[in-house]
Amino acid sequence: MKPPPFDYARADSVDEAVSLLAHHRGGAKLLAGGQSLVPMLNFRLLHPALLVDVNRISGLAGIEERNGALRIGALTRHRQIEVSRAVGDHFPVLRTAVRHVAHLAIRNRGTLGGSLAHADPAAELPMMALLLDAKIEISGPNGPRRLEAREFFRSALTTALDDAEMVTGVELPLLPPATGWGFEEVARRAGDFALAAAAATLTLAAGGKVAEARLAIMGAHEFPLRIAAAEARLAGEAPCSGALGAAAKAAREAVEPDDDLHASADLRRHLVEVLARRALESAARRARELAAQVTGGRAP
Amino acid sequence: MTNLRPGLIGARVQRLEDPRLLAGRGCYVDDLRRTGALHVAFCRSDESHARILRIDTSEAARAPGVAAVVTAADLEGACRPLRATSRMPSYQATELPVLAGDKVRYAGEPVAAVLAESRYLAEDAAERVAIDYEPLPAATDPEAALAPDAPRLHEDLASNVIVDREFARGDAEAALAGAAVRVSGCFRMGRKTPAAIENRGYLAEYDEGRRRLTLHSCTQVPGIVRDALAELLDLPGHRLRVVAPDVGGGFGAKVSLYREEVLVSILARRLGRPVKWTSDRREDLMSTTQAFDEVVRAELGVDEDGAILGLRAEIVGDVGAYSVYPWTAAVEPVQVASFLSGPYRVPDYRGRVRAAATPKPPTGAYRGVGRPPAVFAMERLLDMAARRLGMDPRDIRRRNLVRDGEFPYRAPSGLVWDRAAFTGCLERACETIGYDELREMQAAARAEGRRIGIGLASYAELTGVGSRIAVAPGMPINTGTESAAIRIDSTGAVTATFGVSSQGQGIETTLAQVVAEELGARLEDVEIVHGDSAALSHGTGTYASRSAIQAGGAAIVCARSLREKVIEAASHLLESAPADIEVTGGAVSVAGTDRRMSFRELARAVYTEMGRLPREVRERVDLEATGVYDPFWGTTSPATHAALVEVDPETFEVEVLRYVVAEDCGRVINPLIADGQVHGGVAQGIGAALFEEMVHDPSGQLLTASFVDYVVPSAAEIPSMEVEHLETSAENNVGGFRGIGEGGTIGAPAAVANAIADALGVEIEELPATPERLFRLIGPGRRAAGARMETGPGGRGRGNRFTANQTNSGGRSESGSGPTRQSK
Ligand SMILES: Cc1cc2nc3c(=O)[nH]c(=O)nc-3n(C[C@H](O)[C@H](O)[C@H](O)COP(=O)(O)OP(=O)(O)OC[C@H]3O[C@@H](n4cnc5c(N)ncnc54)[C@H](O)[C@@H]3O)c2cc1C
Repeated sequence: MKPPPFDYARADSVDEAVSLLAHHRGGAKLLAGGQSLVPMLNFRLLHPALLVDVNRISGLAGIEERNGALRIGALTRHRQIEVSRAVGDHFPVLRTAVRHVAHLAIRNRGTLGGSLAHADPAAELPMMALLLDAKIEISGPNGPRRLEAREFFRSALTTALDDAEMVTGVELPLLPPATGWGFEEVARRAGDFALAAAAATLTLAAGGKVAEARLAIMGAHEFPLRIAAAEARLAGEAPCSGALGAAAKAAREAVEPDDDLHASADLRRHLVEVLARRALESAARRARELAAQVTGGRAP
Repeated sequence: MTNLRPGLIGARVQRLEDPRLLAGRGCYVDDLRRTGALHVAFCRSDESHARILRIDTSEAARAPGVAAVVTAADLEGACRPLRATSRMPSYQATELPVLAGDKVRYAGEPVAAVLAESRYLAEDAAERVAIDYEPLPAATDPEAALAPDAPRLHEDLASNVIVDREFARGDAEAALAGAAVRVSGCFRMGRKTPAAIENRGYLAEYDEGRRRLTLHSCTQVPGIVRDALAELLDLPGHRLRVVAPDVGGGFGAKVSLYREEVLVSILARRLGRPVKWTSDRREDLMSTTQAFDEVVRAELGVDEDGAILGLRAEIVGDVGAYSVYPWTAAVEPVQVASFLSGPYRVPDYRGRVRAAATPKPPTGAYRGVGRPPAVFAMERLLDMAARRLGMDPRDIRRRNLVRDGEFPYRAPSGLVWDRAAFTGCLERACETIGYDELREMQAAARAEGRRIGIGLASYAELTGVGSRIAVAPGMPINTGTESAAIRIDSTGAVTATFGVSSQGQGIETTLAQVVAEELGARLEDVEIVHGDSAALSHGTGTYASRSAIQAGGAAIVCARSLREKVIEAASHLLESAPADIEVTGGAVSVAGTDRRMSFRELARAVYTEMGRLPREVRERVDLEATGVYDPFWGTTSPATHAALVEVDPETFEVEVLRYVVAEDCGRVINPLIADGQVHGGVAQGIGAALFEEMVHDPSGQLLTASFVDYVVPSAAEIPSMEVEHLETSAENNVGGFRGIGEGGTIGAPAAVANAIADALGVEIEELPATPERLFRLIGPGRRAAGARMETGPGGRGRGNRFTANQTNSGGRSESGSGPTRQSK
């Protein structure tokens, strides 16, 4: 379990990192937190000629609120997201999700950019990017571009990134007031990649009807999914248990899981429905509570 | 005279080794650095059963930093053949080659060894060794492997049946035929690996000047390894030393002699350079001995009051490819059969056990050895019978446990239980967990849709097995006795040397407590030396819950004879009758006076200040003693475990809410350490109950080749535990001790399984009770795929992140995946 030989270069800027990638066309890999890359090297599943260390690029990490969005730099560690006040205030669902990422020691090193680029089908941050309509900022030899999260994840461990591109950050548009959230995950152990997980946000309109519902799942498909059918089903409805249950069923029908050692496709499909329902129920409950606070009255 | 002074035995002494081990000041084999050392990387078979057609090492041999590439052909005549022998009738011994020769018999078997200046270079070169295999048919299912026409794993054997034994008393069939209620099941635990935190590691060095070989090994049994290597390599014991430095857990997996140990020893001598190998986790998961892999088909018959009438079982052990040295592949399955009847009165019994050689890593001893699967089966059967009778699980145990007036009780397999707290443990466990209140709470929770279950498991084990029983299997070693040597040196310091060795259990503390108390020394005066074959003439090591009994016994015997010498010297020096000499707190004194000498002063007077002792006393009183202790029979350790679990009926997650153990380890030497032994054992048992499982696909490929897929519970999954010690005096050994090291692992799988069965109203016959298994048992999955699954789903879709044969490269857009071969 020793990595194969590789060269190492430390990039001091995004431009330098990108030009090293471009120069080595496919033979170079970015090294961020190393929490996915280094195990793969040790298993000799990858044989990159060069590792480009991005850990010293200044300005690549950090969380800031601007223009109605929260911007999180690619090199921001999971742990920084977990303890960020801005994240806690605006996206408690993200804070909850990130606590499910691995263990503290790994969260201290692992980065947002690394997680998105690695695109494990059961990783929390890609699902969060999708749920929160993230804009993913990318730099490449031809300059920067931005992709919607839903355009970014292509299949298991595969993204829309080109060989010489890197993620520099994400922008998360703030959610409307009276938005409740829910996050549910089943994993074999605390900190394991999930067998399945679901996350939801639910925004109530004045009459207590759903203004917007979002539902994302992971672990049960090649990449994280937004469940458009469920969202459409809920829009304009009262978030009663029948409607939420039907939306959860739609999630079950949308996923195409595989069997693996830890769960069969049947179990994963089943879990998707259960977790989607529970996530939506929590989101609806929280949304009602928030709506009640806003109106100063009782929950509708 | 009763000693009113509070003794060290029984005191809550903090572990003396912890400041060293917990602060990173320990020294494990991998910490040993030697200039000029060569590092080994193995090419391991990626086939489970195949003929080796060709090995091409030429390219690897030319790779940077490579000193040698070794295959079986290079080892011919290098050592005597290694075979675990036994006098058991029907036993067939397998030869364990140092490197696979013409055939491989499991995926992970070492085929070639690359020796290079660093492990990195060795692994780089190992990728360039080309091995051609011709795959052979393989019977990976143990029951299929028993068939006469099954593909034969060892051509020189008559069949794949390594052993076939039966234990019987009375007429089990007739007893079952007359039973009011009969329950049966096919019980199966997952194949488990101990997963010690320290992977195996060996460093051999050869002193050419003195022609002396030293092997530093993470073994639990330096004495056994020394004696075995002496035979294999034909070296006298004084030119062969085996040292186990700090060892990070063994749990039984480090009690066997491994081929890697033999290999580094041979090569260090041949090349005249230190040779080192440290297993990585993947190698550990595919080459360290595994366990608990038995199919137990068992049937229990009880009368209308729940009293056991008869028990019968067909047990098939999936023992893997080779018999481990010296224990043989029979070690575990035979114990399943001999312990199956548990702590109960079972009048009629028949248990047949067969061990099937399969193309998988060898099984061996693992904490509990055979009793975890036996107890799982028996305790489940009892609960099944209770359920059929509408009886409470506690009551059926009360009815059947061997009672106080019935000891010594001869179990149907011939094991004899001495008097211990069989019923006491049951009652104490139930009291501690609040059994009656929990039953009420359970009913209330059920009304709210919550699924809470209470599980009990009672068992008895035999520990500290002495020479009378240890000879039975006819192994070439003596596991019955242990020896000790204690000396007070010329500075007055006490050094006590043992043949056992510690893998972190706290032996340095408990033995120091025993020595200090028996000798009259202070704890801080006593240094414990262990794990060095050169320190004593004979010793084996630590395994089978024996160290407190055997080494503790040797400590007592030896300390007492040293104390006699101390008293004799002191009586001359303090001019007083021996009967008036007291030895306490590291000093001798005359009772009722202020005449007193510290050990330091005494030692100076004995060794240095000539003239203070008469010549004949000086020649006799050397302040050293040796002692051997043989408990002859062995002693019974019973316990009852009680688990409270909650199952989420929609996600099939199981949470252990509370866990109580009431156990009888006789006189407790150190309650902190005794508790710790129980905690660790229970954690491993919960691992077996809920998480851990080695999965091989039908072709014998290991699918759980990393800790991503082999799921060991972490602290988050393990509840805090309540441990009660009942201290029934054990009159059959000098210290009054009973073994405690393994019990946690023995009781926990059954207790957790019973609790889940209780929560869900179903019968659990397979462990680990993963979400997938429960889904198939109670969820919609029941309709999808029948009532139960034979093994894990076994599919190899994505998500098995680091399976041995998978190359998902990850990162941006490489999605290509497919089987890799270490070699083409
Ligand atoms: C034991 C363990 C448990 C884990 N459990 C979980 C879990 O439950 N959930 C979860 O989500 N994750 C889990 N992880 C993974 C962890 O979250 C990683 O931190 C994350 O997947 C990758 O982030 P990283 O910064 O470490 O990336 P690295 O390992 O450094 O890189 C990963 C990949 O991304 C590429 N890369 C890195 N940064 C960029 C960038 N800015 N732009 C483009 N490409 C880039 C690299 O080249 C590489 O291909 C676990 C890891 C371990 C070791």
